[in-house]
Amino acid sequence: MDKTTHFGFKQVDVEKKQGLVKGVFDSVAGKYDLMNDVMSMGTHRLWKNYTISSSNVSEGDHVLDIAGGTGDLAIKFRKKVGESGKVILSDINGSMLNEGRKNLLNHGIIDVDFVQANAESLPFEDNTFDCVSIAFGLRNVTNKDVALQQMYRVLKKGGTLLILEFSKVENEMLKKIYDLYSFNVIPKFGEFFANDEDSYQYLAESIRKHPDQETLKSMALDAGFGFCEYHNLTGGIVALHKAIKT
Amino acid sequence: MFRLAIEKALNHMVNVNDINITRLDNSLVSVYVDDIDLRLFFLCLNSRIFVIENSEQKNTNVDITLNKKAFLALFKGISFEDLIESEDIEINGSIKTAQQLADLLALSSIDIEELISQYTGDIIAHQLGQTLDRIKGSSSQEKDSFVENLKNEFTTLLIAPSRSKFFKKARSR
Ligand SMILES: C[S@@+](CC[C@H](N)C(=O)[O-])C[C@H]1O[C@@H](n2cnc3c(N)ncnc32)[C@H](O)[C@@H]1O
Repeated sequence: MDKTTHFGFKQVDVEKKQGLVKGVFDSVAGKYDLMNDVMSMGTHRLWKNYTISSSNVSEGDHVLDIAGGTGDLAIKFRKKVGESGKVILSDINGSMLNEGRKNLLNHGIIDVDFVQANAESLPFEDNTFDCVSIAFGLRNVTNKDVALQQMYRVLKKGGTLLILEFSKVENEMLKKIYDLYSFNVIPKFGEFFANDEDSYQYLAESIRKHPDQETLKSMALDAGFGFCEYHNLTGGIVALHKAIKT
Repeated sequence: MFRLAIEKALNHMVNVNDINITRLDNSLVSVYVDDIDLRLFFLCLNSRIFVIENSEQKNTNVDITLNKKAFLALFKGISFEDLIESEDIEINGSIKTAQQLADLLALSSIDIEELISQYTGDIIAHQLGQTLDRIKGSSSQEKDSFVENLKNEFTTLLIAPSRSKFFKKARSR
């Protein structure tokens, strides 16, 4: 078996990746929301709104947001599921979960559960959730196939998995502009706003190493999902995959 | 966007009116509107409806082929028997399942004509063009709607540039 994996553009031992990713998110946690707004020029909010509106989540549903970080999706899901529903925000990283807790409190939300968990070993029973989401998280996970199988396991039949993630840009001209922006501008923003160029360099590199739209779709089907389709946003800079457990 | 809009409207209707759709559970229905080349797959699982592409080419319980006129009539609540008699519809597979889906669509009160116009034409470009034409000498209320349209167009530009009027113009130059 391959004992190395990618960490951005570097090859590292499989066992080391999780620790390195933890280092990145420990380092960016406090400035994460500000940086998201700066780097995406606010567009991440539109991408997330589109995700929520694609979700089909309704009153009474149980939702798990994996790699939920500062809780943008959890806040929106909480509103959709109403009092009879339940939302769990989970993340592997304690610092990010703490930021999530603060953020939710600032929004006046107290009825979301927080669970520190690795996407590769979810501490939930089989067939528990109506919807599982993971936004900008999957590319950081070391073994994505195992994580997808876990997501499948905890979903109920008819449940939906939503994966919002950077993807492959279709248009050549947009691709050039985007490359220039992410490798030259984003790390500099990282240095300027968060004093942390390396972490933002990793974020830009990890996007390019992530499976493209069709590959991720095949991975979801291999994990057991009966159907999977994706929708490109902003020309494929980001794609939303929606997979259904049948 | 088109499929998503139908999916949302159907599920909303089922939830709000507490409609029991268990009899449709586990069925996959193909609907093909031949004159506008529109194919939709309705999947029902655990009392939820999905409107999907079925690129996995899973077997369907029933295939319905009809023309646009009959498709619109379905959403307006035409009786299924009348539709069959009109010979504007062809059904292969379980007629019962087709009938159950048709009943649901009839109940949904989806403005399908509006959705189709978005699918076939470019409504956003159309709206923006109209607003730009009207803006000269308009009242403040109209100006507000201009700003609203501009915001919509900007949103489209950000999340789906290929559907945006600006992007289309740049490409055709
Ligand atoms: C870029 S942030 C996304 C946060 C949030 N979902 C959002 O969209 O704003 C990525 C998150 O993935 C988390 N993460 C990384 N590896 C993970 C893993 N193996 N399991 C669960 N979460 C993980 C990180 O701690 C971080 O909070």
